[in-house]
Order: sequence, then structure tokens, then C-alpha cells
Amino acid sequence: MSSRLIRIASVAAVVVASTAGIASPAFAQQASQVSVVHGIPGQPVDVYVNGKKTVENFQPSTVAGPLELAAGTYDVALTKPGEAVTSALLQNKSLAVPAGKNLSVAAHLDAAGKPVLTAFANDTAMIAAGKARLVVRHLAAAPAVDVRAGGKPVFSALTNPNEVKADLPVGTVNADVVLAGTSTVAIGPKDVGLKAGTSTIVYAVGSAEGKTLGLAAQTISGLAGAPTGMPAGRGPVSDGLGSIFLLVLAGVALGGFAFVTRRVVRRGSR
Amino acid sequence: MRRWAGLVVGMVLVALISSCAGPNSGTFGEDVVQGLATTSPAPPVTTVPSVPVRQGPAPARAAVQPVRLAIPAIGLTARVVPAGVDGNGEFSVPPSVDEVGWYRFGAGLGEPAGSVVVGGHVDDARSGPGAFYRLGDLVAGDQVSVVGEDGTTRAFRVVAKEQVPKKGLDLTPYFSAEGSARLTLFTCGGQFDGAARSYVDNVIVTAVPSG
Repeated sequence: MSSRLIRIASVAAVVVASTAGIASPAFAQQASQVSVVHGIPGQPVDVYVNGKKTVENFQPSTVAGPLELAAGTYDVALTKPGEAVTSALLQNKSLAVPAGKNLSVAAHLDAAGKPVLTAFANDTAMIAAGKARLVVRHLAAAPAVDVRAGGKPVFSALTNPNEVKADLPVGTVNADVVLAGTSTVAIGPKDVGLKAGTSTIVYAVGSAEGKTLGLAAQTISGLAGAPTGMPAGRGPVSDGLGSIFLLVLAGVALGGFAFVTRRVVRRGSR
Repeated sequence: MRRWAGLVVGMVLVALISSCAGPNSGTFGEDVVQGLATTSPAPPVTTVPSVPVRQGPAPARAAVQPVRLAIPAIGLTARVVPAGVDGNGEFSVPPSVDEVGWYRFGAGLGEPAGSVVVGGHVDDARSGPGAFYRLGDLVAGDQVSVVGEDGTTRAFRVVAKEQVPKKGLDLTPYFSAEGSARLTLFTCGGQFDGAARSYVDNVIVTAVPSG
């Protein structure tokens, strides 16, 4: 009896140990999605991740990826197309990638016009049914800006390298970017289609001085929240006028039953 | 004669039961529904052999809107109209009980992935039985055909029917634009809560492309 108990216990221990053994690396391996944004005008680049060429001849105002990268620290470098990684234009030797996140790494100009790499964590929270997320990131060598939709400011005084965001009704937004507090259009106008359950991230890039201001954009889908309920019935007929109909039906049936029974009884008595 | 009496009483009983509890209850294929919602037609690649580069905003998806739905097994044909959500975030079921609503924020016909959702009234206290009155009678293998606004008829085959309490029900897997291409039909069922003017359950039928 006691040996049997011990055997059961040891089997249980093995099961627990092996389950834990399987579970922990799987948890650690949850990769992050990493997109790369090119926001430096006039200079196509090659992108190296840990010394390996990952994106070739990457054009300005485009977005590459997403790459699936396991949690860890990465060496990200940008070179002129075809040049050795040792002569990188821009490099971050210790880009931290946490587990299970959605990141965008942008090569862009800072407010003073110097090329830099900035990493953003993308908001992948579920979006309410019928809404879409709009994120605007100021990555241009330009002063503070307002973002307008249909001519009305929706985000104001946005500065490099910051972001603003909102969940908006689905549809097409006619957006432009103006110098903060003015109606001097810096970028746009441009129609931005906002689709349910997607996050559209718009990057304002380039240089005001160099007259190279423009937009890059990426979308993240699969964030659609479902409706909160499905009210697909407004009551049985019996709950309204129909109940009268049912009562009549029941009355007829009972009457019929009584009639039939009487007939049966009478026949039986014969 | 005795048989006649039994028949009449039986008919009354059926009428009473079906009008308050909806037709057939009972569930099949729940595991299939879970699988459809989670399996993606093209699983993501874990290594990085080639990196897609996108220019500007992603192009809008061309979702084909369903316009007509037919289920011969329950003698149903109904007009399909686009439907969204109301102020409380609940699905806006078309007010006419003869029409059913396609969830316009979800997948459309002909897309490689996701759930095409159609919801319709089981009944209405004034108008009577709705288009989806007999949805709960469907069994595995029943055919559903949907005509799109592109004029194409697409055939589906019922793989699951569930009757689940609305309270605490997460509709996400049923409305997801991810996972295998599928058709999800919704109506109400179970007991009618007269005070809340609402049924306590949802009846959910899942069908997969059969053609």
C-alpha cells in the first residue's frame, strides 16, 4: 500500500517536472514583432541585425517587417547599400527586445536634423468593435505640429520623437499636419483609411528645412474587439399579442380533447 | 380518435415550448469552433528568411458583402444587410425580423481568413418568428449558401451548433477576422427573460466553406 503510494507520488513528480521543463522555455521563447521604419530622406540603406543583412536597399518612407525576434539584446546597423557593416551610418549595438511585444524601430532625423534610431512599443490592446486606432509619431526635423482631421485639430503640439494616439470610428480621415497653433500645412492633406480592429501608425518624417517632409505608415491588424452582445430576439410571440392566439389555440385543443374524450367514452359504453 | 386527441395536445405543447424556449436546443462541434478560431490558414514563420517591405499605408481589404442567405434544410431565404454596433457596443441586429445582418466590421465573403458573421432575430413579440427562428434545428452537414454583392454564390457546410448563456460569453472567437475562413450565424435561444426583454442564451451555428 505504502509502496504504491510512493510510486504514484514519484510518477506525479516526474509529470510535474517534465511539464515545468516544457513550459518554461516555451514561455521564454515568446518572440516580439519588430518592424523597421525608414524615415531618413534621400538615403536607401541595408539593415543588419546582429551582423546579418536582413533588409536590402531599404527605401525611405517605407516600413519593413515585422521581424520575429526572441527576447534579448540586438545589434541593429544601417549602412549605405552594399557597404560593409563596419562602416554603418547608424547603429544601436544594444537594442533591447522584451518578450511578446510589438515594436517599431525607426531610423529618422531628430529635431535638429541628426540621424537617430528610436524604438517605440506599439499599443496592441484590443480595440472596441467598430473602431480603429490612429497613432501619429513625429520623427521629422521640424518644430512642434498639430495633426488635423477634416481641418480640425485632433492632436496638438506634438514634438519629435513623441507619439499621440486615439481610437476613432471606422472610416476615412482626411488628415494633414500643420505647424503647432497655425494653419500652415506642413504635410498633406492625405486620406487615411481606418479599418475596424487595426492600428494605423503614421510617421511624419523628413526635414522642414530640406523641404523633404513626408509620411510613412504601418498597420497592425488583428486587434478587433467583438461586440459586447448579440441581442437577437425581442420576445416570443407568446409574450405579446401572440399569447392571446396561443390561449385560443389551447382552448380549441382542450375543447377538442373534451369532445374526443366524450366520443371515446360514449363508444366505450356501447 | 384517441390518437387525434394526443396529436392536438402534442401540437399545442410543441407550440408552447418552441415559442418560449426556441426550437431545438443542444450543442455539437464546440471543439471545431475553437480550432477554426485559432488555426491560421498560413502559420507565421518563426525564422526571418525574407522581410516584406511595405510602401505607405496597407491597401484596403476588398471584403465582399453578403446580400442573400439560404438554408434549404430549414426552408430559409433571407435578405442580408450590413450591420454594425449600437451605442453599447452590442451587435445591431436589423430591426426587420425578415432580414439578417452581416457584421460589417469583420470578415467579408471570399477572404482567406476570418469569421463572416451574420446575426438575425429568432422572433419578435409583435412581428412573430424571425428569419433565424429555426436556426437551432440545423445539424452537422446541412448546407448554407450565401450570395455576395459580386453575384457569386458560396456554399458552406454546418460543422457546429452551440447554445450558450449570453452572460459571460466572450464573442471574440466568433467575430475574429483571424483564423480559418468560416461563416458564423447568430440568434437567440433559451428562456426569455420578460423583465430584461431578452433571451438568456445565444444559438451559434458555425459553417465552413464546402465548395
